[in-house]
Amino acid sequence: MKTQEVLRAPAEQEFAEELAALARADERQKPANWKLSPWAVVTYLIGGKLDNGFQIKPKYIGQRRLMEIAVATLATDRALLLLGLPGTAKSWVSEHIAAAISGDSTLLVQGTAGTGEESIRYSWNYALLLAKGPSREALVASPFMRAMETGALARLEELTRVPADVQDTLISLLSEKTLPVPELATEVRAARGFNLIATANNKDRGVNDMSSALKRRFNTVVLPTPDSLDEEVSIVQMRVDSIGRALELPAEAPALAEIRRIVTVFRELREGKTEDGKAKLKSPSGTLSTAEAISVVSNGMALAGHFGDGTLRAADVASGLVGAVIKDPVQDTIVWREYLETVVKERDGWKDLYRACREQS
Amino acid sequence: MANVHLFGIRHHGPGSARSLVHALERVQPDVVLIEGPPDANDLIALAAHPQLVPPVALLIYVPNEPRQAVLYPFAHYSPEWQAIQFGLARKLPVRFIDLPQSARLRDPSSEEKSSEDGADETTRDPLAPMAIAAGYSDAERWWDHLVESRAGHDVDVFKAIHEMMSELRGALERPVPLVEQQREAHMRKCIRAATAEGFANIAVVCGAWHTPALADMPSAKSDDALLKGLPKVKIAAAWTPWSYERLSYRSGYGAGIDSPAWYELLWEKHTALGARWMTRAARLLRDEDIPVSSAHVIEACRLADALASVRGRPVPGLAEYNDAAVSVLGSGDALALQLIHRRWHFGDRLGIVPEAFPTAPVQQDLAALQKRLRLPPKAEEKTLDLDLREAIDRERSQLLRRLRLLRIEWGRQQTHSGGRGTFHELWQIGWRPEFAIALIEASRYGHTVEQAATGLLAERSANPGASLASLIELLDDALFADLPSAITTLVAAIENRAAVSVDVLQLLDALPPLANVCRYGNVRGTDVSLVAEILSGLVPRITVGCPAAASHIDEDAARSLWSKLIETNRALEMLGNTDFIDSWRAMLQRVAQSDTAHALITGYAHRILYDASQLDFEALSLAFARSLSPGNEPVVGAHWVEGLLSGSGAVLVHDDRLRDLIDQWVRNATADNFVQVLPLLRRTFAQFPAPERRQIGERLRAGQQLQTTATNIEFDETAARAVLPVLKRIWNLSE
Repeated sequence: MKTQEVLRAPAEQEFAEELAALARADERQKPANWKLSPWAVVTYLIGGKLDNGFQIKPKYIGQRRLMEIAVATLATDRALLLLGLPGTAKSWVSEHIAAAISGDSTLLVQGTAGTGEESIRYSWNYALLLAKGPSREALVASPFMRAMETGALARLEELTRVPADVQDTLISLLSEKTLPVPELATEVRAARGFNLIATANNKDRGVNDMSSALKRRFNTVVLPTPDSLDEEVSIVQMRVDSIGRALELPAEAPALAEIRRIVTVFRELREGKTEDGKAKLKSPSGTLSTAEAISVVSNGMALAGHFGDGTLRAADVASGLVGAVIKDPVQDTIVWREYLETVVKERDGWKDLYRACREQS
Repeated sequence: MANVHLFGIRHHGPGSARSLVHALERVQPDVVLIEGPPDANDLIALAAHPQLVPPVALLIYVPNEPRQAVLYPFAHYSPEWQAIQFGLARKLPVRFIDLPQSARLRDPSSEEKSSEDGADETTRDPLAPMAIAAGYSDAERWWDHLVESRAGHDVDVFKAIHEMMSELRGALERPVPLVEQQREAHMRKCIRAATAEGFANIAVVCGAWHTPALADMPSAKSDDALLKGLPKVKIAAAWTPWSYERLSYRSGYGAGIDSPAWYELLWEKHTALGARWMTRAARLLRDEDIPVSSAHVIEACRLADALASVRGRPVPGLAEYNDAAVSVLGSGDALALQLIHRRWHFGDRLGIVPEAFPTAPVQQDLAALQKRLRLPPKAEEKTLDLDLREAIDRERSQLLRRLRLLRIEWGRQQTHSGGRGTFHELWQIGWRPEFAIALIEASRYGHTVEQAATGLLAERSANPGASLASLIELLDDALFADLPSAITTLVAAIENRAAVSVDVLQLLDALPPLANVCRYGNVRGTDVSLVAEILSGLVPRITVGCPAAASHIDEDAARSLWSKLIETNRALEMLGNTDFIDSWRAMLQRVAQSDTAHALITGYAHRILYDASQLDFEALSLAFARSLSPGNEPVVGAHWVEGLLSGSGAVLVHDDRLRDLIDQWVRNATADNFVQVLPLLRRTFAQFPAPERRQIGERLRAGQQLQTTATNIEFDETAARAVLPVLKRIWNLSE
């Protein structure tokens, strides 16, 4: 399957050119089995211009020091835990770090309530197992096991959704760096360069909170919601552009002003006050993350492209906006109504948005 | 021609200090000139005193003008301190050469203006452009990396700094502010003077920014022209103890430092610097019950090392350690580290200034007062009984209160037990050494205890966030501490606040303390006419707002309003101002007539009016009947009665008619109503003191004497005795 036909290519393919350019320019020392030096990894994440003029696009827009801590952590063989509200680019960062360091971001385990021990250790090909008995061929390695063998980065999404007993399996794995296979009387020892990036949501940490023993194996980096309106607008714009290209949406790229408006709505409701700080607002129950703002915009683009005139207008974003804000049909409706009537209605140049949203609700 | 060695340093920079000491050793100067206030030249020699322990500060102040003061703090690791120590140890002349503060401390208005003129980014932080060019987020970190954190002490660093600063100043687009020019002119003048005196090897220690200006000497004439006509104020100077925490403020040497404790570690040149620093954080966190193991510390140090290499630095600096601490010790959350930030970065080191030294004016003032009032500062706790009719005791009380305003809790006032009247005050006093710091803090506001307390009060009353209640509390303090000029500002602030206050409850809260001030202020000989003025503005506002405030409110709101009204009524009666009382009662009339006011409040209004004979019994019984008529909810009636009785049963003891009225109402209640009303009435009556309840009961019984006079019951002793053996067996008692 060619890359163009894939809905979404992994980071190491999508940004292959940048990674190659960085590798060429990178003369600094690399930890064992790393494709790039820590400096180059940080540059890949934060963006910048190489000495030869090659422009690296920023993947993470925010504080540089957070990325530095994250990369430095992996260089010390400590596991990295990315914490944050939903939609603060945890998985995004984790994918790009893995792509830059190991050249492979696909060694991924999605943590769910049903994640079993075998998805972290290994499972068996039962047909082979019955036919030939326990053997290396009958063993199905988990992404973790493969990462250990190749000295690559493994990724674990939503660590706090994984049941506690499975979390415990991680403890010995992370401290001993070996994975015993008693059935074959052998063990897999992690090659240098193996490490783990886990992500967890700190909004519902109650699902399966990490034990302090497990916490101790991680250095934690908390990814905040974007500091400023401009920062958030540029995140949304960047992502919408790339998603739009990937989905081949017929709409033209949305005007910055429209994105700005949506991000403003999200920020104001999230922080419970208007951008100018003059009025207090109620906050809805949802998190209203940047990721949701991105999906509202790309949703609107799809609507505009397929059913509208190809230009993103207030009416196209309204339904997505209402859907993103109103998560609890009773409480959030009140919050949204109040916001519409007190803020949106009064604001200059927002009349169209107000009318469109009124029609929706 | 003399050899002039320029050493551009960073104030409070341990790296600078270390390099400086080595450079001085090599150069062996015969005179040491330091950027510092020449006004304090006489005090330099005192720095050799073995009991003077940094951090200390030189305080330069205008004796007659309280708020005019500049502080020059020194830590062990301040290059200036090391230069002074170097010079004194070798018996060299050591001089300060900056522009004298006598020419810079002026009246506050011009001071502000000049600092605004000088508010140019580059002059304030000359290193910032360099740091940004080098890829650092701020100058502090860059300098730290380049100079302070270096383990070595190569002398060439000063040459490099000098070249860098020359480059920077050459590239500077804006003209140097006049004050800066004058300062540098004065420094040059001092260097010329030293040369003229025949010193051959002159060491000049100054902020890095100034070295280029001192290297190239213009003609003496142009400098003299710059310095001509400068004002000259009378100045005094003193050494005063300082603390690391205050070292982080930006004052005097304009370089406040973020982490004095870290710099101390750097200066002391410990091995395993990072491990020490992180262990310190871990121990502090453990004190806060946040579990941090040694393994955490190890990981944090490793992360800091890795971070330094990611950032391309040879060794981790403060920034790396802080980031690593947040990630490992704080689990990514900066909150835990904020908890220990003060102790971690500042530490609690205090400087010591020997007693024999001339001290700060506030300290002098306090010492004089303590002597005069025979109140020596002693650590042991003791109780002080002050009789305010005595002049000396009154002054003692004032002193304690003024100090308390300055957050020096030398004395804590005790609620006097039983002691009747307002002539006595009980104080628990005990002096603590850290008050010395609070005194330094106080010297910001003035140079006597009185001036400082006044200044602090003025600042707090100017705070737009202060609530009316807090202002009135301040006024109370100010009156009792006898600070007349603070009172004037406070009264103005209170009037303004009361005028815009829309909340009657706040005004009601404000009135009783003000009335107290008015009533008891006279005992202390304080002038209370100003307070009377506020009251005459406050009472009409209250009487206008109250009826509305009493309307359409629920029980909780009514109860809180009720208690405020009781307080206010008591206060107004105590004041005895007939105008106030008249308008207050007129307001109560309106409330009493109101249908919308809460029953608790209307009941209370009736009681006050009835007590004041503004309402006769007929009117009261009519109102009673109306409120308690069956058309109303029984709860309303019960509230009304509660308000009417207002926690005092005495009226029921003495007023037969009122007692009968209530008695009748209870007797005539239907069974259902009675059940509903009983708990409410019980609550009302439970508030009365037991003797009152008993008396009410006796009166009621006396009213029905005919039915209940069975006190003489015939008693058959033999029949009673017959039961005893059985009881003994039941309770298992021996004979």
